[in-house]
Amino acid sequence: MYGWIWRHLPGNAWVRGIIALVLVLAVVYALFQYVFPWAEPLLPFGDVTVDGASAGGAGAGR
Amino acid sequence: MAARTEHDERTDTSASPPPARRRVRHPVATAVSVFGELLITAGLVLALFVVYSLWWTNVLADREADRQGDTVRSKWADGPGALDTKDGIGFLHVPAMKNGEVLVKKGTDPKTLNNGIAGYYTDPVESALPWDDEGNFTLAAHRDGHGAKFHNIHKLKNGDPVVFETKDTWYVYKVYKTLPETSKFNVDVIQPVPEESGVKEPGRYITLTTCTPVYTSKYRYIVWGELERTEKVDKDRTIPAELR
Repeated sequence: MYGWIWRHLPGNAWVRGIIALVLVLAVVYALFQYVFPWAEPLLPFGDVTVDGASAGGAGAGR
Repeated sequence: MAARTEHDERTDTSASPPPARRRVRHPVATAVSVFGELLITAGLVLALFVVYSLWWTNVLADREADRQGDTVRSKWADGPGALDTKDGIGFLHVPAMKNGEVLVKKGTDPKTLNNGIAGYYTDPVESALPWDDEGNFTLAAHRDGHGAKFHNIHKLKNGDPVVFETKDTWYVYKVYKTLPETSKFNVDVIQPVPEESGVKEPGRYITLTTCTPVYTSKYRYIVWGELERTEKVDKDRTIPAELR
């Protein structure tokens, strides 16, 4: 997969390396900016209250 | 001599085949290779998620909390006037947590807390406010990520001061009970009279809640305090003795 991408990048090894780095940074940016903020509330790591309601929809006793 | 030839031959065979194998690869080998690369990718993405959760959200939240805190302080500095609670009701100072000042705003929904602040409960049990005659001032904040304002909650011991600063008053609470682990459904801990902490009489209490153990949200960590005294804020906002 990565080998395939590498072979299809244009230019010599230096140009390919720079393009590959830009691609990696673009992916990391997309993850931090869009994917992780979307995924985070779906995961049970950030609930700090005792109402219990924010933890995956489980209702509290009251 | 014979052994030498054999060795040379073996060197030859081990040196030449790889290029040949790369040129004509079996489809199964290709599939396995792609699958392996996907697994490595997934591992890297998960590692990045940890970096995001434990570092990047703190960077964003601290920035936002500073901005909102500055807004509140500059409004306070604009002279006397009605206590405006929309931008936040004040700042929590807990020397034992070594986290500076924490802006406190209304509500404990994730959107509010993710800005690196602490929120007072409106649901399921409405929090009292520090200037009320009696009741329980109940707060929640993140343990990790998003500012991690209550990260060091486990450093709090009985007798430690918890100071809440409003526009005109310092409210000095003393911790009298900690509960290192309780269910997230245990809403009794934030009742106006938190009997679980051992008190029976109405009074002016403060309750800090966050998640525990660190890096998870399995249980809740609770710290209770009771108001010891209040102090008027003077012209220079001299900090009370507990914070020096």
